[in-house]
Amino acid sequence: MKNSLGPNKRVVGTVAVLGAVALMVTGCTRAATDGGAGTGSGSTSTAAAASPGITDTTLSLGISSPLSGPTAGPGSCSVAGLDSYLEAQNAAGGFEFGDGKTREVTLTYLDDTYDPAKAVSNYKQLVNDGIFAYVGALGTPTNAAIMPLANKDEVPQVLLITGASAFSKDQASNPWTFGLLPTYYTEGNTFGKLLADAGKPITVAVLSQNDDFGKDYVAGLNDAIKGTDVKVVDSATYEPTDTTLDSQVTQLANSKADVLLSAVSVTPLQVGVLTKAQSLGWLPRIFLPSNTSTPGTVVEPGGGAAYPAVYSTSLTKVPASPTFAEDEDVKAYNAAFEAYGSKIASVFTPHCAWSYAEGAILGEAFKGMEEPTRDSFMTALKSIKGFDAPLLLDGISVDTTQDDQPAISGLTLVQYNGKGYAPAAAY
Amino acid sequence: MAYTIQLIVEGFATGSIYGALALAIVLVNRSTGLINFAQGSMGVLSTFVAFGLIQLGVPLLVAMLAAFVFAFLLGAGVERFVVRRFERGDPDTAVVVTIGLFVFIAGIAALLFGYEPRQFPSLFPPQSINIAGVFVSMRSVGTIIVLIAVMILLQLLFRFTKLGLAMRAVADNPQSAGLSGLPVSRLLMIGWGLAAVLGAIAGVLVAPQLFISPTMLDFALVYALAAAILGGLDSPVGAVVAGWFIGIVENLAGAYVDVIGDDLKIAVPFIFMLIILIVRPQGLFGRKVTVRI
Amino acid sequence: MKAFLARPIVRIILAVVIAVVIIVAPITSSPYVNYQLSIIAVFAVALLGLNIVMGYTGQVSLGQSAFLGLGAYIAAYGVRMEWPIVLTFLLCCVIPAAVGLLVALAAARLRGLALAMVTIALPIIGVPLAKRFPDFTGGSQGTSVSFLEAPDWSGLADDQWRYYIVVAIAVVLFLLGRNLVRGRIGRAFAIVKSNEAVALSMGISPYRYKVLAFTVASLFGGAAGFLYIAVVQYTSPETLSFATSINLIAAMVIGGSASILGTILGAIYFVVLPIAAGQIDASRTALISGAVLLAVLFLLPGGLVSLPRRIVQLTSGAKRRGGSTPANQTPTGGTAPDGTAPDGTAPGNTAESAAQKQPK
Repeated sequence: MKNSLGPNKRVVGTVAVLGAVALMVTGCTRAATDGGAGTGSGSTSTAAAASPGITDTTLSLGISSPLSGPTAGPGSCSVAGLDSYLEAQNAAGGFEFGDGKTREVTLTYLDDTYDPAKAVSNYKQLVNDGIFAYVGALGTPTNAAIMPLANKDEVPQVLLITGASAFSKDQASNPWTFGLLPTYYTEGNTFGKLLADAGKPITVAVLSQNDDFGKDYVAGLNDAIKGTDVKVVDSATYEPTDTTLDSQVTQLANSKADVLLSAVSVTPLQVGVLTKAQSLGWLPRIFLPSNTSTPGTVVEPGGGAAYPAVYSTSLTKVPASPTFAEDEDVKAYNAAFEAYGSKIASVFTPHCAWSYAEGAILGEAFKGMEEPTRDSFMTALKSIKGFDAPLLLDGISVDTTQDDQPAISGLTLVQYNGKGYAPAAAY
Repeated sequence: MAYTIQLIVEGFATGSIYGALALAIVLVNRSTGLINFAQGSMGVLSTFVAFGLIQLGVPLLVAMLAAFVFAFLLGAGVERFVVRRFERGDPDTAVVVTIGLFVFIAGIAALLFGYEPRQFPSLFPPQSINIAGVFVSMRSVGTIIVLIAVMILLQLLFRFTKLGLAMRAVADNPQSAGLSGLPVSRLLMIGWGLAAVLGAIAGVLVAPQLFISPTMLDFALVYALAAAILGGLDSPVGAVVAGWFIGIVENLAGAYVDVIGDDLKIAVPFIFMLIILIVRPQGLFGRKVTVRI
Repeated sequence: MKAFLARPIVRIILAVVIAVVIIVAPITSSPYVNYQLSIIAVFAVALLGLNIVMGYTGQVSLGQSAFLGLGAYIAAYGVRMEWPIVLTFLLCCVIPAAVGLLVALAAARLRGLALAMVTIALPIIGVPLAKRFPDFTGGSQGTSVSFLEAPDWSGLADDQWRYYIVVAIAVVLFLLGRNLVRGRIGRAFAIVKSNEAVALSMGISPYRYKVLAFTVASLFGGAAGFLYIAVVQYTSPETLSFATSINLIAAMVIGGSASILGTILGAIYFVVLPIAAGQIDASRTALISGAVLLAVLFLLPGGLVSLPRRIVQLTSGAKRRGGSTPANQTPTGGTAPDGTAPDGTAPGNTAESAAQKQPK
């Protein structure tokens, strides 16, 4: 060939290059302990051995949520609301900690496209980069994949944006994990109680998602109506990837039930359910889950006014609603979101409000943190009671002391009144 | 009985969505011999153009026409500048290029409009008409009619016009077509442009129901691919009929066969497809391909 | 360059250096790096299966993720039932292979794209099926299992032990695969890929070899599933998703189809790209991934494995005058019709280039 180096020199050259590669690969020095694999920048506190990710002036949090794909709207909001709260507080001087220091709290966020394998990879990356805690991630299978790892690594995996009860139910086995939101079971149960309290025979049709979200809902409903005259006469399931639920609605309409529990978590599909049922001449009372009940995007396009009653559960104030225009917390949220969160999420979903409240809960926990350690953080986080986080509706407060409940377990049953939601009347 | 007819009618409507996209896939395949995984994304981006214009106050029909023009230019441009390089080479590479486009174009739509589904106005009034106990929405009827019209127009184009003949010639044998003086490059671009317009039509028909979002047509694409192949990859009529078939069979199986139920009803079209393709490998309406060795 | 690499002393040194790097890497790397290296090995095995059926034999398979998921579920079940690990691993190879065999027997007679559609059906049907049997699969919640903990006598940490086991199995599978594609069967695959009529005339049954290729691919997919759950320790219906199949195909082509080295490069791409995209801008991963994919294919239509060849082409193209015969331009490994050559290889050449071609 045309090269001018002799064959021996080529051999030496190749070996040298490969040797250099080998050195680079092995150059990542191994952390002494395998637990919190910090890169050395974490523990600089001179007091009790600090956990990774916290210094005298900073604390770093990590989150992996779907930022692209069909669930990216809620996923982006799970980051945006939290980021808004954190950045706004940082700009106002930082967070006060129980050990007397004031720190700036930073958030690193990654996209897992709702894929559990990617979520695991992101979690490991965040831990490797030295986060203090993993917070507020959205998604059920993604968090389920991380749960055993976080508990083994003793990394807090807290205030998760999912209603699956699996995360909060068994805090004895998974002490480092629990959720933020009331469970789907609680939602279904709350609806069921309204029906049971009516004290008369009611027929119910159920439309639910074919996974634990749907199953939890139905279980909650069933437990509330057990032994009463309320009966489920027909049920159907759907996949989130379905293009339409028309055939399920047609099937359920055949039952002519009085009430429809439409546990549908996909906005366009929920609108389709509302339009289809009335087009078939079936006008039951309808229950909508909290995340597909927004008047502007679901109830109005679906023609919700045609139904005798549209119920839902609600947790937070809607920042864009004129009802809350004068509310101090809402004003603060809007300013913070405008400045920080709008870069991350372009459209509002309730998750933006939920994650903002989550930021405040973290702030509460920091106030109670007497040592710069993860243990102290978890203790403080699990001792919050009666905290009225911003944006939570009146009457709902944060209580993390319950061993098998998420941080917020209260729900208000509300009813659509043509413009928005108001507390529901009896059946 | 009314229930069954209701399910069938709904199957027609859902199947029309698959059929519209399948038409686009067939068109691309007929003109350039490729399967375009980005068909849905291109349709969605064009629909977003209409959406953006509507936000700015442009009337619906004008916005849609603008979207179709955009779609044509997008399709032609993509063929000329991106896909052309790969058309003669390894078909796997060409398919992966369309996969890359699929992801990239969806990313652009997301960059401009975000991922959250938004409402899109419908061409057709929202009412339903009641025919002998069966409720048919105007939107479904409208979708089916538009689809049939487009299908007929495409058949006429391919069978009876010079352009159609030229496009078929280029698809069959680009070298001979070029040697005969046909403007091969332009014809390829037209083929992709038209297909993109079809995708945009599918997009605007479907957006009122599905809510427009970058991933709106992702799942429909899989069904559309199935319909295109089942119908015979070179037959517009076949694509649409296969789309209807899939929609109807899925509904009936889901409602009436308990073992299948709602979750496995998607399996049914594929099983049928397997059986039909074993018996008739060229698809329901495809031409039998004989290869001279 | 080829001549240089063919010299035995060079090969031995290369092999030793690579072996040293592979063996030493986890000792000093962080658990995170070891995790990523292990995941690369997992997907390299899955990609090898895909490459065997798609790159080498030319049959489009959009269902490789279904076999990956099936293998993962079998492994999870086996671990939960406390079966011996070796038995579980064998089942993870055998059961998906059997499923692949059945599917191929039915579908291999179909023309290319029809076969592709049947393979699409696998993940599409697989996901709801996985949700249907929660006792076996854990339903939509998925299932977590942890095994392959480092034994005390080794003195290693869990992640290091897992890395060694996974990489060892992957290396063995790769050697088996390499021998397969380089041997008589591999040559038959290549002929079936290029021209089925020619294959028939040579007494090679395209149907039989397609079935074989598909079965082998499913076997590798299932084995990769076992390795997957060993490393990730969690599986759910999402593992079977259609999107994963599509990403695998993209990674295969980007790495370089019909090439062993290309398979490894493809696996690296598959794992590293999302991480890199996330570092650039976590909210724009789709845009970045799509752009990178298109850029790579534009610059290197033959895949990453063709990079050296491309550099040689570009640099020597400047120096070369006319007069070189087409034989000089035959690629040294990798796909036959290279996307960059519009004149392509005429059908008559494929038989000889198939025989000449040395799949890496």
